[in-house]
Amino acid sequence: METFEVLKEIIVEKFEKNPADITLDSTLETLEIDSLDVFDIIFEAEDKFEITVPNEDMTINTVGDVVSLIDRIRAEKK
Amino acid sequence: MSNRRVVVTGIGAITPLGNHPEMLFQNLMLGVSGIRYIEKVFVDTLDCKLAAWIEDFNPLNYFPKNKAATLDRTTQFSVAASKNAIEDAKLDLSNDDLTRYGVYLGSGMVGANSIEEGYRRLFVEQAKRFNPFTVLMSMNNAASGQVALDFGLLGPNITFCTACSSSAIAIGEAVKQIRHGYTDVMLAGGSESLLTQGTMKAWDALRALAREDKENPRASCKPFSLDRSGLILGEGAAMFVIEEMDRAIERGAHIYAEIIGYGTSNDSEHITQPTVDGQERAMQNALNDAGINGSEIDYINAHGTGTKLNDAVETEAIKSVIGYKTPVSSTKSMHGHLLGASSAVEFSVCLMAIKHQAIPPTANLSVPDPELDLDYVPNVGRENVKVETVMSNSFAFGGTSGVLIARKV
Repeated sequence: METFEVLKEIIVEKFEKNPADITLDSTLETLEIDSLDVFDIIFEAEDKFEITVPNEDMTINTVGDVVSLIDRIRAEKK
Repeated sequence: MSNRRVVVTGIGAITPLGNHPEMLFQNLMLGVSGIRYIEKVFVDTLDCKLAAWIEDFNPLNYFPKNKAATLDRTTQFSVAASKNAIEDAKLDLSNDDLTRYGVYLGSGMVGANSIEEGYRRLFVEQAKRFNPFTVLMSMNNAASGQVALDFGLLGPNITFCTACSSSAIAIGEAVKQIRHGYTDVMLAGGSESLLTQGTMKAWDALRALAREDKENPRASCKPFSLDRSGLILGEGAAMFVIEEMDRAIERGAHIYAEIIGYGTSNDSEHITQPTVDGQERAMQNALNDAGINGSEIDYINAHGTGTKLNDAVETEAIKSVIGYKTPVSSTKSMHGHLLGASSAVEFSVCLMAIKHQAIPPTANLSVPDPELDLDYVPNVGRENVKVETVMSNSFAFGGTSGVLIARKV
């Protein structure tokens, strides 16, 4: 499944958001998702995609940033 | 500033006998027990399969779903009880100087559920990672921190951890904060939820839990009775809005009672065994603080755990400091031992006793112990009695005793 679709599902489920409000360009701030919540989303995504996101500096402002991060790790895994 | 008086203007309670102090009190007066079999998959691994657990608490009444998932049950209880206390006190936090508000909360463990879930994932499921919220859910100050955060309190925010006296100490120290002028309003009380497999097995191993009454499991905790065999664990919380008296009168608040005395002491003899001397000094310190005599106490809510030793030691201490005549009851026989929350829940019972001029019974006292000769209000509550001044006793593993005295205003 597309990374974005999975992340959208996680965000909708966890934070009770309207799927229509979630796009690649949505900022986490407008979705009221803070830095701790991002770790929580990554935690779920790690399970779903069977990947490990290393503890490294990351700049994440939008949903698209999270998608890029996950896609990069998935590509590296292959 | 030392003459400032402190009153209770709001109560919130989440308990095995109802999520409101009035409901709790009515159940206690009727002798209803909140003790029953634990409905969890691990129940068969336990020697003592009973606890006073809360069935009807829905965190979604207090938090959005994603928020609830990041808070230990202890913290959920704490915030819920605080919210109810604030509403009961009719405080308008949006129009107040919140630097003059603080929270003092007592708890024995706080994060028992979260830390055990983390270890279960790690050791049983062989998971490689912890939930990222584990530290924040299980840290000992998680509950008081969340209360301060959710209500925007900007004064002192401190957790008290003295086992079974935690919340008496939290309330007593909060009274001092107001008396001495550091704050005007405090949210004070305690919370506990540790009915996990690991914690319950640990209590089993300590051999402090009651043997099951096969004929009536709900009656297994029998304080002051000759056939008493130990305590039954419980969970819950009680939080109080306490405030400076003139301020409360000025804003037309309903006043439950004035907290006139607080005493603490240490046993310093054994990590679990209480001493008569330690309990006497705690009660006497509270009387001295209140400036009253023991004969003025109308009702004592005892620590009354239902263990052989506690009930005998407490009886001796009460006899020497208060006397023979004062009614003493242990409501732990019905709501169980809420450990870090027990003093707070029992203090709410004391305030309800003043409000209703009624004394709840010690349930399950069916075989009088010839060595224990106080008036324990056996099995039947008393209505239409004079209850103006009340004492709540709490004694703890580790040695810290906490005694509170409240009086009708």
